[in-house]
Amino acid sequence: MSERAATAIVVGASSGLGRALAAELARAQYALLLIASDRRDLDALGASLNLAHGIAVRALALDLGREADPGARIAGTLDGMPPPAALLLPIGQSREDDDLSLDAGRIGALLAVNLHAPLAIVHALLPRLVESHGTVVLFGSVAATRGRGRNVVYASAKRALVSLYESLRQRYRSRELRVQLYELGFMATNLTYGMKLPMPVAEPDAIARTVVRRLERGSSKRYVPRWWALVALAVRWLPWSVYRRMKG
Amino acid sequence: MKDAGPADTRGFALADVDLASFDRQFRAHCRVQRPDRYRLIEALPRDAMRIARGSGVSYTAASFGADAISQSLAAFDRILAFDEDGGRLVAEAGVKIGDVQRFALARGWYLAVAPGHPAATVGGCIAADVHGKNPARDGTFRAVVERIELVRANSDVVVASASDNADLFAATFAGFGLTGVITRATLRLARPPAALIVRRVPVANLAEAARMLREAANAPVLYGWHDGRPGVFGRGVVRIGLATDAGEAGAMRVPPPSRDLPAGIRPMPFALWNRAGIAAANVWLGSRWCRAGQSPLPLAEALFPLNDAHAYFAGFGKAGMVEAQWLVPHALFDEFAGMLAERVARDRPRIALIASKLFAGRPEGFGFDGEGIALAIQLPAPAEPRQRAFLEALAEIAITHGGRANLIKESTLDAATARRAVGGFDAARERLAAHNPGGLHASELARRLAL
Repeated sequence: MSERAATAIVVGASSGLGRALAAELARAQYALLLIASDRRDLDALGASLNLAHGIAVRALALDLGREADPGARIAGTLDGMPPPAALLLPIGQSREDDDLSLDAGRIGALLAVNLHAPLAIVHALLPRLVESHGTVVLFGSVAATRGRGRNVVYASAKRALVSLYESLRQRYRSRELRVQLYELGFMATNLTYGMKLPMPVAEPDAIARTVVRRLERGSSKRYVPRWWALVALAVRWLPWSVYRRMKG
Repeated sequence: MKDAGPADTRGFALADVDLASFDRQFRAHCRVQRPDRYRLIEALPRDAMRIARGSGVSYTAASFGADAISQSLAAFDRILAFDEDGGRLVAEAGVKIGDVQRFALARGWYLAVAPGHPAATVGGCIAADVHGKNPARDGTFRAVVERIELVRANSDVVVASASDNADLFAATFAGFGLTGVITRATLRLARPPAALIVRRVPVANLAEAARMLREAANAPVLYGWHDGRPGVFGRGVVRIGLATDAGEAGAMRVPPPSRDLPAGIRPMPFALWNRAGIAAANVWLGSRWCRAGQSPLPLAEALFPLNDAHAYFAGFGKAGMVEAQWLVPHALFDEFAGMLAERVARDRPRIALIASKLFAGRPEGFGFDGEGIALAIQLPAPAEPRQRAFLEALAEIAITHGGRANLIKESTLDAATARRAVGGFDAARERLAAHNPGGLHASELARRLAL
């Protein structure tokens, strides 16, 4: 299989779903631009994918919580690579104490990763992605289905991504730019490791296979795994008087 | 470990997990961290006791302990670099040996020193200083490692090799993970034989097997299999794998990962290896394996010998098994084997399997090496009084004959016996302690043996 003349950009590539997406995209022979905070993780991932699949890999170490203009940094790193065909943003940061007790600094830090970074990166790369009729892949969370007393800032940011998804779809037709939003249920990652969760966890590899397989299909929004759509529906339909009594 | 608040614990999530050693002789409720980024390996509080964990296939409890956080290296499973001409491979510590072999064989190389279990990780093989199919020819795992990287408890990342931090490098082999968390290693691969022909030489007893092993010292694959029952003790076969061209042995088919022996094996609800089961297995193996002759041995089969052993290990049942592994100098081996046969005839322990190998190295630290013949003796239900008594007698006979124990294998050795069973024990312990300030790298194995 020969390398595609197209680059996939994975932001948050060093662990969890991001790492699984990078591996799946490498299998599909995309050239890769991998972005994460730690150079050591990126170098290891890039080297292993290059060795296993013979693809070109470029890495950019970026702290999304501190970077004022992550989009410009990424756009600059794309120079000399094949045109970007896909931008995937499996990034997210949550905190145990995101329960209406955070100060302004911590709220800003959470928003920087969960909202500002996706917005800024999409804005910066939009012209190139439209030019290549590419795909923007956003990742929401079932935590944002309905507001709760926990994950307050995180869920607000994830809800805002739904608005970004709608804005992009309103602006561009699918043949100009595909926009895909995946609402993620619980995943077996370091974030959920050791937690007692009320629902089964999905493997990042399985989700990554779904995402990459659907990359060149049209714009859409879907829950992964699919059955989370029913759970979300049930949560939304719960009478407020019942919902507000629920724990968590 | 100091109490860490919610904000502190983010990033090094811990799970409460029940862990058991592969031989099922020790289990504990442990805290396990599963870092997926390098910084998370370094994220534990500096005073937290910790121990690295690979696939958890060590027979003994080397990768966990009730007081230590097990740091799983499962996410560090990447091959990072490969020099096609020189056969150098850089791998993260969590890469499984089976995957190294598959990668290397596809490129005309192989790892000459590899343990039987394909799920054993690169880091685990270093920490245990495992041996392979013929340690007399190939040495132990230290012979194929050029360079390692470790994360110490103080978060320092240290590179060690024969020329750089040489004492740390040497102490890390058979250091049982106590010198730090090994994160990556540079391995030296070898060109594999195109194929192997295995010559089967029946032997009547262990002394005869020892003579055969010495005569075939340079074979790429060399080991004996023996019946452990009284009356026929030591009877078996020496298998000598000789290099040949592919035309004689057929094309190599490397088993896919799905064929690998799993790391965790659910025990059968009953013990298969009672006297009748052992007798039946020995008769069957004797008729299948012990006839003189030769036949093709695909290299892949030699490199993945335990892939068909699932039922064997499950058959030990919930009581599990133990492997006593002793290396006895040549000069005393025949006498040792004779006394062992007498003891077996008198005590009638249940022995599921005996394997013999030739060693020709120099013992270093806690490493299992030296010049002599090694016996690996596997027994079911080692907690049963008769079995336990035999294991104690075996240890005494072996020690009396200059035997050296493989500490990473046997769960039933206590600290006092281990001290007599490894020459230079105190010096090795002091060296490990010097590289483990505060004893922060800790495990049940280290506690039991007072390392």
